[in-house]
Amino acid sequence: MNPPSLPGDPLRTTKKITWCPSCPDNMILESSQKAIESLIKQGHKRESFAMTCGVGCHGKIFDYLNISGLYGLHGRAIPLAIGIKLGNPNLNVIAFAGDGDTYSEGMAHFIHACRFNPDITLIVFDNQSFSLTTGQATPTSQLGFKTKSEPLGEFNQPLNPIHLALSANATFVARCNARDLDHTQQTIEAAIKHKGFSFVEVIQDCMVFNLETNGKDDRMYKIPKPQKLSRALKLARQFDYNQSETKIPLGIFYQTHRNTLYEEWPQLQNLKKKRISWKQLKR
Amino acid sequence: MRLNILIGGKAGQGINKVSAIIAQTLLSQGYFIFNYRDYPSIIRGGHNFNVLSISDKQISSHESKIDIIIALDENTKQVHKNNINKNTIIIDYKPFLNLGLNANIALAGALAKVLGIEKQILLTQINSNLKGKPYLKSSLEAATAGYNSQKQTNQLKKLNNKPTLLSGSKAISLGAINSNIDLYIAYPMTPATNALHELAKKQLEHNFMAFQAESEISVVNMALGSSFAGAKTMIGTSGGGFDLMTEGLSMQGISEIPLVVYLASRVGPGTGIPTYNMQGDLDIALRAGHGEFPRIVIAPGDPTETIEITNQAFYLSEKHKALTIILSDKHIAESEFSSTIKPQKPIKVKVNREVPGEKNTIIKATSYEHNQYGITTEDPTIAITNANKRLEKYKKIQQACTQFPMIKTHGKKNSKNLIIAWGSPKGAIVDAIKDLDYKFLQVIYMKPLSNQIKKEMQKANKIILIESNLTGQLGRIIREKTGISIKNRILKYDGRPFRSDELKKQLERELRK
Repeated sequence: MNPPSLPGDPLRTTKKITWCPSCPDNMILESSQKAIESLIKQGHKRESFAMTCGVGCHGKIFDYLNISGLYGLHGRAIPLAIGIKLGNPNLNVIAFAGDGDTYSEGMAHFIHACRFNPDITLIVFDNQSFSLTTGQATPTSQLGFKTKSEPLGEFNQPLNPIHLALSANATFVARCNARDLDHTQQTIEAAIKHKGFSFVEVIQDCMVFNLETNGKDDRMYKIPKPQKLSRALKLARQFDYNQSETKIPLGIFYQTHRNTLYEEWPQLQNLKKKRISWKQLKR
Repeated sequence: MRLNILIGGKAGQGINKVSAIIAQTLLSQGYFIFNYRDYPSIIRGGHNFNVLSISDKQISSHESKIDIIIALDENTKQVHKNNINKNTIIIDYKPFLNLGLNANIALAGALAKVLGIEKQILLTQINSNLKGKPYLKSSLEAATAGYNSQKQTNQLKKLNNKPTLLSGSKAISLGAINSNIDLYIAYPMTPATNALHELAKKQLEHNFMAFQAESEISVVNMALGSSFAGAKTMIGTSGGGFDLMTEGLSMQGISEIPLVVYLASRVGPGTGIPTYNMQGDLDIALRAGHGEFPRIVIAPGDPTETIEITNQAFYLSEKHKALTIILSDKHIAESEFSSTIKPQKPIKVKVNREVPGEKNTIIKATSYEHNQYGITTEDPTIAITNANKRLEKYKKIQQACTQFPMIKTHGKKNSKNLIIAWGSPKGAIVDAIKDLDYKFLQVIYMKPLSNQIKKEMQKANKIILIESNLTGQLGRIIREKTGISIKNRILKYDGRPFRSDELKKQLERELRK
């Protein structure tokens, strides 16, 4: 049943937002919504969008954005999104996920999505901590991060998701700053338009947990356009997710074309060509 | 008339080729066959064997008594020496060593002669099997050489039966295609892999898709996604993969996205004995997944029932937005059964629910407890309402399942001696009780369980439970449902399926007790 929308705001449900006050998640919601609005203005139908979410603070976006979707289990936003795309290749599918969600519980899905190259967009809310479970370390938390579950401090070097995605042959790899709404909106829009697996990592602060990694904005700068793979890999290494003085590049690191999942399967090409779903297919 | 032919050798020597040529030749002559495949988890070497049981009447099992052995190596004669008696005919590989890869064809030729099949019928069969192959001519020569090397000891005349041959894996594929499947998603795992191969082979012809995902966790989540988007979706695995899928089953319970799961069991726990048989996974099929939610579990006893049940599973899942598990095992999946019974005409499976992408439709499905719009809620009143709805849904499912055969009875209809079993032991039981005073109650719907079971049990003086597992899992759920505990149990858990002649002796002993 279609959820009611806020008056004058069809893309927003009436559900009260329960993110913490001033949490940048609100800004990622805003940027994502603006990107979808812009695509609707360009001719896409609201009903052509479908989102998936994992479990974590990011997942609440499911209740606020008034588009179709599937609110999954922790770590599973990606396979759900690929499934929706297999189920109807004509949909614009966006997977929202968190850093714990994607890089811890769902790591295998992330790497294989880079391989499979399904035409979906992954937007990771990366605040470098598990916040909905009250502040444990995720794979992108900085060295030494002391938490209730690891009081001796995080011993492991953080994972670099941008570098990993590039190494795993992702065809669109980008990073944004949640506070930069325009840039995030433009990047998400470009990611949804990209044919293939597009990965947008959105760096954000957590206002309650892992405060020591907050406030990196001054170190951020924008890459003007997508780079060659070798250059993109070098840029990806500039920021290692530890606290340091290094610069943090934002923007589309790399974009290339490779046949997407549906382009490899004649059955899906057929649905795409006829602009129908399996449900409408006559055998 | 009944003969058991054991064809043994190393993995990779072409045992299945010998049994396939003979099986097809015999089928064309109107004989019933049952082909049991026994192989370890080895790709080249080791010891594999098939037992090809043949009869002029319907059979669905093999026996321990061996009439003819085709030995593709020395080891075969050693391993099976306890099943050999003075009348057993041994066809040895040694005279055909110089034929190389055609040795197995020569052995098929030798067997045809022993059975008394006309040479021309055999050659016609080989011709149709190997048409266009560069080695056809040498294969025909090898078959002739093999044929001429033996003495005829049987006389298999042509019969009027027209049986067809089917494995459980092919039956899953046929049932799915009958249901207009859109998507099959799986990760390879014996003994479910052959269903994936079969469906992958047929995907272009029937315009559906077979997709191999990176793990069973991904399989089940992708399936929830594709089914949410309106695709009729089935996933397949064995016990270990099913364990990984568990979280997705639970999510099905709250999101109510139709989902069909093919679970083909093998020997557990753990990696267990991967290529052998066990009915050890009934408990997990019935209960896997956290929280309380409805489901349907159906267990076919042979390939024909598998075709029908796969269709029922698609129908029930779609109609009731339900989880349906088709619980089979290695013995059904990989053995080949001949039959003249045609499966029931399939029911049309229609997707009538709203799916994303449809005009002006916004639809949200979720793993969280939710309101009517699919939006998260922690409201205690809605929590109760939704939990009660799940219970109501199960009542509707219970009612709906009664339109299908939830149980079947075989054997002597008025016998006071009742056998209760489910799944793959069916074939051996039906064959074992042909001349005995037994009625056999086959349970097909494991959940919901038929109310008829208690009535049948109350009519019996003696009840025997037969299962291929250690603890009698069906016995437990029958006790839970009826309050009756079955004391007499024949349980087999060595990984090998029941053989009808051995089972017959056990059942005769039970009658004398």
